[in-house]
Amino acid sequence: MHLKSPFLCCITADSSCPVTQAEKALKGGATMIQLRRKSASGSALYSWALRIKELCHAFNALFIMNDRVDIALAADADGVHLGQQDLPAGAARRLLGNNKVIGVSVSSAEEAEKAEKERCDYIGLGHIFPTSSKKKSGKPLGTSRITEISQRFSLPVIAIGGLTTQNAGKVIEAGASGIAVISAVADAPDPRKAASELIQTMQSSLQ
Amino acid sequence: MIMKQRRTDMEHKRLPRLYMVSNNPASPYPEKELPGLVRSITANLPAIIQLREKHLDAKHLYELALLVKHHLHDANSLLFINERFDITLAAGADGTHFPENSCPLKAAKAAAPDPLAGKSAHSLESALSAEAEGADYLIFGPVFETPSKKQYGPPIGLEKLEKVCRNVSIPVYAIGGITPANTPSCIDHGAYGIAALSIFHTRENLGEILENFNNTLCQCT
Repeated sequence: MHLKSPFLCCITADSSCPVTQAEKALKGGATMIQLRRKSASGSALYSWALRIKELCHAFNALFIMNDRVDIALAADADGVHLGQQDLPAGAARRLLGNNKVIGVSVSSAEEAEKAEKERCDYIGLGHIFPTSSKKKSGKPLGTSRITEISQRFSLPVIAIGGLTTQNAGKVIEAGASGIAVISAVADAPDPRKAASELIQTMQSSLQ
Repeated sequence: MIMKQRRTDMEHKRLPRLYMVSNNPASPYPEKELPGLVRSITANLPAIIQLREKHLDAKHLYELALLVKHHLHDANSLLFINERFDITLAAGADGTHFPENSCPLKAAKAAAPDPLAGKSAHSLESALSAEAEGADYLIFGPVFETPSKKQYGPPIGLEKLEKVCRNVSIPVYAIGGITPANTPSCIDHGAYGIAALSIFHTRENLGEILENFNNTLCQCT
C-alpha cells in the first residue's frame, strides 16, 4: 500500500457530526479520514462509515475505522487503525485480507517491530508533542524518536500527538511520512483552512 | 402454533435452550471467574454463552473469548460474542449476538456469513425485521420485572412474548426476570428457550438453579 505524501490523517473528534468534520477536512486536502467515536452505537458508526467512505472516495482519500474491525468489514472501509488495546493487527489482517490498510499506534521500538511483523501498512508514532485530545500517560516522545524509528523500520511513520502548523514541518524533517490530528483540524475555527495549512507546511518541509 | 414450533425444533436442533449472558461490569477481571462459571454451567447442560463484557477493550475481549472457548464443557454448547463479529471471527466463536442498535444485521451477515447471528428485540416490529434480516434466533424481553433490564422499560409480559413467538419461525429466547419457576410459562407461551444474566452470578446455589432449569426445559421439549 502506498500512502500519499505528505500524508494527513484527520481523526474525527467527539465534538460534532463526524460526517461534516470529514467533509471539511477533505476539502482542505486530508488524505485519510479515521472515524473514531468510542461511545457511538454500532448502528450510528455504520451509517457514518458509509457516508464518510463515499466522501473520501470522491476526494481520492482513504477511509479507515478506529478499533472497530467489525464496522470496517460491514461498511467495506479501506482499513482500520488499531491501538495497543484493540484487536491484534495479525488477527485483523486475517479478517481484512491483504488489500486493506492496517495502521497501529506505537510508542516504542518494540511495538514498532511487532507492527512490522504483523504486516501493518503504517505506524502512528506518538505522542510526539504534549496533547489534550486523548488522555496520555508518559512524556512526549519528541522528534528524535521519529528519526530513530523511521531509520530502523521500513514502515511509514505517521506522527501523532500535539501536531500543529508550527511543528508539522519538524516531524517531516525528522523522517515522518505524515501526521495524524484530531483537534488541530476538527476543532479549528476553519477546519478546511487548518487542513490545507498543515498540508502546505509539510509540503514545504519535503522540498 | 404447535406445527410451527415443531418445524423450528427440526431446523434448529443445535441451538441449546439455555442462554447465559455474561454481564458483570462490576468484575474488572472476568477472565478470572468466567471460565470456571462457564465450565460448571455447560457441564450441567448445553448452553449458549454470550460474552457481553462491554467494559473490556477489543484486545481483552478477544483473549477472553479464546479462553472461554476452551472451557465449554459440552460439545453442544455454543459461544457467542455481543455485537463485535470481528471478535467472533478472530476467536473462532460460534456466533454473534446483535443488540437492537447494532450495525444492521444484513450488512454484518454479508461480511461474515458463516457464524450464527442472533438479535435482541423488544417489540413485535423489531422481531419481524430481525427475522427478515436473517437472524438465526431472537432474544425477546424483558418478559418479567428485572433490575438488569430496567433500561428497556417496563416488563413486556407473556402475552407479547406469545405474539412474537407465533409470528416468527426462528427460535425465541425469553429474557428478563427468568427463573426456573417461570420458565415453563415462557415455554408454554411459545419460547424456544430462556436467557438470563444476573441469575448465573448468584454463585451459592448455581448447581441447584441449573438442575431446576434442566428439569423444566427437559419437560418442555
